[in-house]
Amino acid sequence: MRIEKCYFCSGHVYPGHGIQFVRNDSKIFRFCRSKCHSAFKKKKNPRKVRWTKAFRKAAGKELAVDPSFEFEKRRNVPVKYDRDLWQKTVSAIKKVEEIKQKRSAQFIMQRMKKAKTIEKEKDVKEVQRNMSLIRSPAAGLKMAQQESVVEEIHESDDEMQIAEEV
Amino acid sequence: MAVRVQFENNNEVGVFSKLTNSYCLVAMGGSENFYSVFESELSETIPVVHTSIAGCRIIGRMTVGNRHGLLVPNTTTDQELQHIRNSLPDSVKIQRVEEKLSALGNVITCNDYVALVHPDLDRETEEILQDTLKVEVFRQSVATNVLVGSYCLFSNQGGIVHPKTPSQEQDELSSLLQVPLVAGSVNRGSELVGAGAVVNDWSMFCGMDTTATELSVLESIFRLNAGGIATGSSASSIQGENMRNVLIESMT
Repeated sequence: MRIEKCYFCSGHVYPGHGIQFVRNDSKIFRFCRSKCHSAFKKKKNPRKVRWTKAFRKAAGKELAVDPSFEFEKRRNVPVKYDRDLWQKTVSAIKKVEEIKQKRSAQFIMQRMKKAKTIEKEKDVKEVQRNMSLIRSPAAGLKMAQQESVVEEIHESDDEMQIAEEV
Repeated sequence: MAVRVQFENNNEVGVFSKLTNSYCLVAMGGSENFYSVFESELSETIPVVHTSIAGCRIIGRMTVGNRHGLLVPNTTTDQELQHIRNSLPDSVKIQRVEEKLSALGNVITCNDYVALVHPDLDRETEEILQDTLKVEVFRQSVATNVLVGSYCLFSNQGGIVHPKTPSQEQDELSSLLQVPLVAGSVNRGSELVGAGAVVNDWSMFCGMDTTATELSVLESIFRLNAGGIATGSSASSIQGENMRNVLIESMT
């Protein structure tokens, strides 16, 4: 028994589940449930429907290109049965799965990180643009006047110091 | 020797079996009669294996193979593929092909050196055919029928084509295949020679309805009568010999 992938959402199709459609050019479409089948009948493109795996991969939401995806594949050339090889394969499957999950989690984390910096930049921009809401521009004017008075005083101090030294 | 067999009262033995020089595939039937005929004839030399393709018994029409390899259609399940791999010798390459015309036995026919294929077959499949079966591929039709696998049957020794093949086309085909050809029928006038019989270089199985005349034609063209080549005892084998000589002369 092969556990097939749904054409629309890429979920698993277990034996006895879902429905299969064969187009007259002999291409087989399998669907995991009626939701996916009716979406297909409505000619929805799985790449444009946001909840499918195809969308998430096409839009860069999830890890799409990685050597860890090369293991699970339909292969056309069989290998002769060898007990050792099969045992090793079974144990390798677990390890590959672990690595695959780690990598895709990593990818999502990286993506989120980038989003964080972008969000921060956006916030800074917003604050700068709407500064007037937090602090009245007039308040700034008053401060500047006071500062200029203080500076004059400082300058006169300096002159006095110089005179003393001479 | 040619042997007459039936598969569950059905004469189309080429549909339910696949015979080559290095292995023989037999369909899983209700009884073992069909299998034991093959077993008794071949088991000393080559493996005879029970198989199904995509859960169907029509393995002879679904697969194509020769001494070097075996091609199965993409409907073959993983379990069947694994079973075939485990049962056949290591020297035989096995490959599943993604081909729209999935009845490979109907659209392809071959011996160990050349293959005739359906004109609409994929380019990709043709390449796989060349690599796996190590054959030279010709896109042809037999007597205006595109299903070359059904209307044509040949081994490395000779071949038989649809009874209504014009002699000009026979010459053309035999020069492509480099083996002598005759137009003939099996199973009392059935023109589906590929479906009615299976053959390799030293044995042949045909439907129970095959007449004595048909059988003698088949035996002579496939050179199956014991010592027929050396002694040329029967008239038909002499005829076959003559045809071969004529053919060789026309080549040189």
